[in-house]
Amino acid sequence: MSVTFHIPGALREFTEGRTKVEMEASPKVVGDALKALWTRYPGIRDRIATEQGEIRQHINVFVGNEEIRYTGGLATPIPPGSEISIVSAVSGGGARPRGPYTRSPTRLPPDDGPTRT
Amino acid sequence: MIGQVLGHYHVVSKIGEGGMGAVYRAHDEVLHRDVALKVVSKSAGLDESASQNLLQEARASSALSHPNICTIHEVGETNGELYIVMELVEGQSLRSLIGDTGLAVESILRYGVQIANALGRAHDRGIIHRDLKSANVVVTSDGLVKVLDFGLAKRVGRGIFEGSTRSFETVQDASMLSGTLPYMAPEVLRGEAADYRSDLWALGVVLYEAASGRLPFEGRTGFEISSAIMREMPKPLGPPVPPGLWAIIQRCLAKEPMQRYQRAGEVQAALEAVQSSAVISAEPGGDRSGPRTTVLHNVQHIHVRKGDFLLLVGTTKGAFVLRSNSQRTRWEVGGPYFHGHAVYAMAYDQRDGQHRLWASTQSYWGTLLRSSDDFGKSWTNPQEAPIRFPADTGVSLKNIWQICLGRPEEPNLLYCGVEPAALFESRDAGESWSLVRGLFDHPHRPRWMPGNGGLALHTIVLDPGNAQRMYVAISAGGVYRTDDGGGTWTAQNRGIRVMFMPSKYPEFGQCVHKIAMHPARPERLFLQNHWGLYRSDDYAENWKDIANGVPSDFGFAVVMHPKNPDCVYIVPVDSDEFRCTCEGRLRVYRTRNAGASWEPLMRGLPQKRAYETVLRDAMTADPLDPVGIYFGTRSGQLYGSTDEGRTWKKILDGLPSVVCVKSAAVGDPSVFREPKPPQEATATSSRSRRSTGKSTSRKGKG
Repeated sequence: MSVTFHIPGALREFTEGRTKVEMEASPKVVGDALKALWTRYPGIRDRIATEQGEIRQHINVFVGNEEIRYTGGLATPIPPGSEISIVSAVSGGGARPRGPYTRSPTRLPPDDGPTRT
Repeated sequence: MIGQVLGHYHVVSKIGEGGMGAVYRAHDEVLHRDVALKVVSKSAGLDESASQNLLQEARASSALSHPNICTIHEVGETNGELYIVMELVEGQSLRSLIGDTGLAVESILRYGVQIANALGRAHDRGIIHRDLKSANVVVTSDGLVKVLDFGLAKRVGRGIFEGSTRSFETVQDASMLSGTLPYMAPEVLRGEAADYRSDLWALGVVLYEAASGRLPFEGRTGFEISSAIMREMPKPLGPPVPPGLWAIIQRCLAKEPMQRYQRAGEVQAALEAVQSSAVISAEPGGDRSGPRTTVLHNVQHIHVRKGDFLLLVGTTKGAFVLRSNSQRTRWEVGGPYFHGHAVYAMAYDQRDGQHRLWASTQSYWGTLLRSSDDFGKSWTNPQEAPIRFPADTGVSLKNIWQICLGRPEEPNLLYCGVEPAALFESRDAGESWSLVRGLFDHPHRPRWMPGNGGLALHTIVLDPGNAQRMYVAISAGGVYRTDDGGGTWTAQNRGIRVMFMPSKYPEFGQCVHKIAMHPARPERLFLQNHWGLYRSDDYAENWKDIANGVPSDFGFAVVMHPKNPDCVYIVPVDSDEFRCTCEGRLRVYRTRNAGASWEPLMRGLPQKRAYETVLRDAMTADPLDPVGIYFGTRSGQLYGSTDEGRTWKKILDGLPSVVCVKSAAVGDPSVFREPKPPQEATATSSRSRRSTGKSTSRKGKG
């Protein structure tokens, strides 16, 4: 069962203009799905993750309607047929709410670097 | 074949032989026009599926309608023979025009622009050429370029090894490879799929060939050619090939697709910029239009000529480039570039004959260093962030605060100062960057503390006479100097006050806001501190307080007069709590005696309810005569003076918060002449009004 990414306008330059990208692979967790996405579209990686593999502060990744910082970070499991949305945060006006977010792994292995195709 | 009829095409004569088969002139008996008819040879080895693919590709390509693309009218099959009916283009192939010596630069640019334009149209329609080469480009007698055989190269087949031993034939593998070996991109040779950027590689090969009469990657066998493509750099092209064209070719021929231009439109715009710089080398004042193509949409572009003067303005929501002539009275505004991105650093690099703008962009999507070779019409948008901290540092880039060009004799050298505080250097004109470890591993670094704007290395000053010596300033870490080209660094803060620590004169930890040096006096530096205004006369070994007659010694920017090493400009603000111009009066202060006294410059500047802030990189001087001074404010106003600060005019308002202002004179080295000796320079500036500054008490002095 495939996974579908919803691509925000700011990143479509790197997905040949696609608003949706369907991944044939069946990644088990969000981290794997993202890796598959930027293996296909390398320009995505540095836009949503820092060079140390952390999802950027003001970028939110949703599986369905749940933001992954609250559901296990990059280890968030992906049910088959999931839709994953990448959204830039509405920022300003205070710190992020505390909660499970602080305990969730949001860091990818740091040595990955962008995948070259 | 001659005399036969295929479909409703009567074959008249043979024009030539191509990779796929023979090409004939034929007459369309229905529409009564002559056409080119390509009959795909049975020996091309097409099986049924490959034939269908070819038909499909040809049909897709037939949808392309563009003046620089040879139109495909029809594809068909009759009696088992596959044929493609195309527009009959009468002219000479680019290959034959190039000959052994290459073409004139003007022709290369004219043809190159048209080829790039054709590629851009095809790419927009999702069609990749896959076999662009000089033999596939025809130039008509009136100079119109027609690119042939769009999309036809795929899946036409013989084996790669056979092909690679026939170095100039089209080589194909039924499943993977297509194209002509010397024009094939490295990724295609690796067996990866060709994409738009593989065509841009081929365009680079064609441009190189047109410029030199030779292919960039040569060899006696296919293996040698492949090896050169994969591993070797092309032999550099010097005059008469302009550096700008050579730079474009190099970028097309970057081994990694992501290091190339990402769109044909970018190549086209860059070629047009070189065309316009050909205008630059022509008579000034000639009625020649600037570049035509706009790659960025809904953005105003400027047209730049030799002798023009530029202001680069970075704001928290994008960048602007302003153009004027040497009078600096009327301004054409380009931008905004990078909508919504903060642009803290900009630079204009015309070393080695190039015309490259640099800008750093920061947004939620990260921080990038980007460049434009066409004065802003197109900018690089690298897939991979060029400046990145190594994995072992555990640190991530937040912002790029400063772009510093190397000395004129080091045209490939660039530095960037970044947040969190670190220095990066590039020794290949910005292609690759590395962290300067000598500074990053300094034992003081863990104890540097972020200032209000973050922990930033925001200032880089090179000693013009000593290639081993440079200075950096860090908020809040202080001034550091290297005397061995960056290997080791020492804190140089003796005499600089710190208001926010128990010890007022620590070895380091100062919140230095800016330092400036005059090239004629490299031993002397001026420094605006977070409280405190200083001068050093001994390469930053010791600092002396020079806040004599300023309303506040708090401020950000400090700018050298480019011709007078005793003359410096600052814009004091009230205090660190109230970072606005003192008493709501917008005043620049100038010293012409190296800080012994300061005078306010206010004519033309608002003196009521002007609670403005001029940030550390938001003021600059120009090298013209008389010298101009420019600054932007946090409220988005841009002011300029073309008489060394005596009178001021508002250039723009309504901008986002201005964080960076830089100036440049385009293509005229005479304005960059060596600084005059101090005596002569003093005499020059003595035409200006004498100091009227009145000494007032300084705030926050410890």
